[in-house]
Amino acid sequence: MADRDPGMSAAPATGGYVGRAVRTLEGRAPIAGAARYSSDFSFPGQLHAAIVRSPHARARILKVDLSGARKVAGVVLAMDGREVAAHLGPIPHYIDPATFGGKSAEVRTMAVDHVWCYGQPVAVVVAADRRTARWAASRVQVAYEVEPAVLTVEDAIAPDAPKVVPGFDDNVIMAVPFRNGDPDAAFARADHVVTTTVRIHRFSTQPIETRCYNAVWEEETESLTLYGTAQNPHPLRHVLAKVLGMPEGRIRVHAPAIGGAFGMKMHGHPEESLVCLLAKLLRRPVKWVESREECLLIGAREQVHHLELALSKEGDLLALRDRFFANTGAPSACPGWGMAFLTGLTMPGPYRVRDIDVTMTALVTNKPSWNAARGYGKEATALALELALDEAARRLGFDPAELRIRNFVPADAFPYASPTGLQYDSGDYAGAVRKAMAAIGWDEWRARQAEGPREGRYLGLGIAYELTPEGGALPGTMVAGYDSSTVRVAPDGSVRVLTGVTTPGTGNPTGIAQIVADELGCPIEWISVVQGDTTTCPYGFGNYSGRSTIVGGGSAALAARAVRAQMEAVAAAMLGVGVQALRLSDGVFDGGDGRSLAFADVAWAAYTRAYDVASCITPPLEAQATFRPPNIRHSPDAEGRINPYPSYSNAAYATVVEVDSATGQVKLLAFAAAHDCGRVINPLLVEGQACGAIAFGLGGALMEEIRFDAGGHQLTRSFMDYVMPRAEDMPGVTLVHHDSPNPDTYMGLKGAGEAGVGGSAAAVVNAVNDALRPFGVAIHDLPLSPARVWAAIHGRSGAAGGAA
Amino acid sequence: MDDLAQSVLVQWRVNGVLHELDVLPGLSLLDVLREQLNLTGTHMGCMTGHCGACTVMIDGRIAKSCIAQAATLPRAEIRTIEGLMGPDGRLSPVQQAFWDEAGFQCGYCAPGMLFSAIELLAETPDPTDAEIDSALAGSLCRCTGYQSLRRAVRAAARALKDPNPD
Repeated sequence: MADRDPGMSAAPATGGYVGRAVRTLEGRAPIAGAARYSSDFSFPGQLHAAIVRSPHARARILKVDLSGARKVAGVVLAMDGREVAAHLGPIPHYIDPATFGGKSAEVRTMAVDHVWCYGQPVAVVVAADRRTARWAASRVQVAYEVEPAVLTVEDAIAPDAPKVVPGFDDNVIMAVPFRNGDPDAAFARADHVVTTTVRIHRFSTQPIETRCYNAVWEEETESLTLYGTAQNPHPLRHVLAKVLGMPEGRIRVHAPAIGGAFGMKMHGHPEESLVCLLAKLLRRPVKWVESREECLLIGAREQVHHLELALSKEGDLLALRDRFFANTGAPSACPGWGMAFLTGLTMPGPYRVRDIDVTMTALVTNKPSWNAARGYGKEATALALELALDEAARRLGFDPAELRIRNFVPADAFPYASPTGLQYDSGDYAGAVRKAMAAIGWDEWRARQAEGPREGRYLGLGIAYELTPEGGALPGTMVAGYDSSTVRVAPDGSVRVLTGVTTPGTGNPTGIAQIVADELGCPIEWISVVQGDTTTCPYGFGNYSGRSTIVGGGSAALAARAVRAQMEAVAAAMLGVGVQALRLSDGVFDGGDGRSLAFADVAWAAYTRAYDVASCITPPLEAQATFRPPNIRHSPDAEGRINPYPSYSNAAYATVVEVDSATGQVKLLAFAAAHDCGRVINPLLVEGQACGAIAFGLGGALMEEIRFDAGGHQLTRSFMDYVMPRAEDMPGVTLVHHDSPNPDTYMGLKGAGEAGVGGSAAAVVNAVNDALRPFGVAIHDLPLSPARVWAAIHGRSGAAGGAA
Repeated sequence: MDDLAQSVLVQWRVNGVLHELDVLPGLSLLDVLREQLNLTGTHMGCMTGHCGACTVMIDGRIAKSCIAQAATLPRAEIRTIEGLMGPDGRLSPVQQAFWDEAGFQCGYCAPGMLFSAIELLAETPDPTDAEIDSALAGSLCRCTGYQSLRRAVRAAARALKDPNPD
């Protein structure tokens, strides 16, 4: 464990911006139509690539005939997977399963000889414009010999299942037990055992901006610049260097404005290195813009949980058993599969039960691959636990809220060592549940529900909890727990912050600017934050796991403190007073004796009077700092367990739904959340994160689903089929904060970006099942589409009638 | 494959500037705005008219430019997000309200949300929440959960009714 810096949790020397709903230029650019996203960049000689993809889930490639494409006017290059493989090495895994005892498949940029999923790249065509490239791609003829596909968990674990990865002895990439205490004994002495099977479907983040990569080759320096939708520019540069066989120093990755990411723009995608190769071969810029149909190939979240809860007759949760399977699709270098690992590691969430027997089995199938999706598996932990707890409450006659409160880790037990080895920093889970229930008006809704259905519409109330470890660090991977920032004050007093964290459009640069403004004691308008460029920013790991303000803000604060100390030394010398006498606020150094100095005058002196008043410092006014949260622990304990997270955000979600028994339609009437993300830097931005995650949960619970036919062909291919919440679907959200500061981070921050997908989805499912009580059914198969709800009400298949 | 001889001459006034353009059949208005006029504030999200990131105003009505064929608009008055700013470079009241209220996060959906709000408030200066939701329902936002967008539209309505609250 790294040393804890006692000053880290202290408030900045000057207050004013942190905690306020500040707006900056960063938030203004898109409103003016001035933000530049990756696909907005074009360069002289720009070419465009289009990709030919497999229409089969599993097949042998007999022949790829590119001649039709090559005849199209405007086409400059057409290549198949075998030709591309001659130039490009395998793509390094973002998180290699082998690092954690799993199996590592070799992932190539394009299929060679064998196709392992629908949509896998088979050939690529480059042309003068995008339409010509796409037209020419349609002229590529590929002969396949179709083989039976492995699509479901049941397919994948069948003893005679075909192997998705040639050479593997089964379809398991990783199986991990999470076991603690004596669960068998606890089950033996339990008064009740409640079993629940929860089926979480495949759904996806679908940012409105699809992915785009534009590679520019510089012949003069034999170097490459990739402009693209990259959450993690420096780690992507490392991957490109490996795949292309180039030194990292000759590659620049630049991520301009990003139109939403949610994990999907973490790397490992084949198109990243492919456009780089094409630009290098053609000596011209090559751009690829993902279509929505291509974007919908990227999956996530599909899991089946077989849960057993052991309970005493008073309602104490004595033990938890969960056998769960994740259908992670075809192997990929992207970090998606790791979600399944986190689902297991986060068990048993906010509950204090010590005797657990959880096994995670991550499977490969012939569906398209996963990538990381907001929640990163922790949403599945919440869904599984919260649906199973409600099932127990329903069957045994407990109040759902009281059952939870009875079993939470108590507020005085922190820091708390979980049975899987995590170290929860702080929280008050019972308090948050009570706040959420008060915020929604729980008792009033219960009274209305007791009045009975109106015109066939049934009210239901649902509550759920989510514990969301954020800011993660996995040993031996580019999932790092720390990050770095540089703060520079120019001779005119303007401030530039360069940071290794990136923004997918969440507003973290505004939060970082607020922190630096308070630490430097200057107006926020003087600060600009630069991110997403490997050439200008310090080495950093980008955006994931709700980390950006914890480590980006924390490191910027440390750098700003160092620069402030330089400026204070100069100002004190200029005024001839001691540093302790100085007061700095709003860009003015007050000497305490009636004299003062402007921030810009001090900056000018620091640069121009290096042999005089600035001889006490080393110019320039610049410092780089790293914040490494001290409570991450990678040295295994006696049981071999590590704590990969510094921060444990958590929240209670409460909702009221109305189910129309005639149509199966679910309407959300009210929603409240009590949210603990530690210290709030900007309430507007935190509310935006929380409400956005709730919309993800609502969409996942009720409407969003990526479907396939029996042969493995993807049926969900546009927003006609992939239905996401619109304004009319979202109820107003009452968000209340229930913050407990993290003792190990800057000002007590916890992550605010990931939390909420699973907790809100579980609250919606629990509310629907509450509404369905009069029919004696409950549904644990997601999503709760109108057809599935209608079928449950009317006794058709699709419902798990209480037990499973 | 494209043949310039098949192109259609169109006359558009875009954000107040007259353009005479040869556009190829099959090109969407979105393609022409982005690629021929370099107006990249209008975004591609789905190319099926579902997401609204490509929204513009054609002859005073909002339209999704990804499913509008450029060649079917021989003469048109077109306004894009770049044309919303005042001549002095200041944000319009609706834009200002979206900034103040953090209406957006990533901002990729901004064309749809801003133009939907502008059209709504032109016809319904004092909209109900249901009318705001209905007006925004043609566009998808993945970041905000719509809460801040609703609040921004309400703030914009107030600003348009009383431009000088002080």
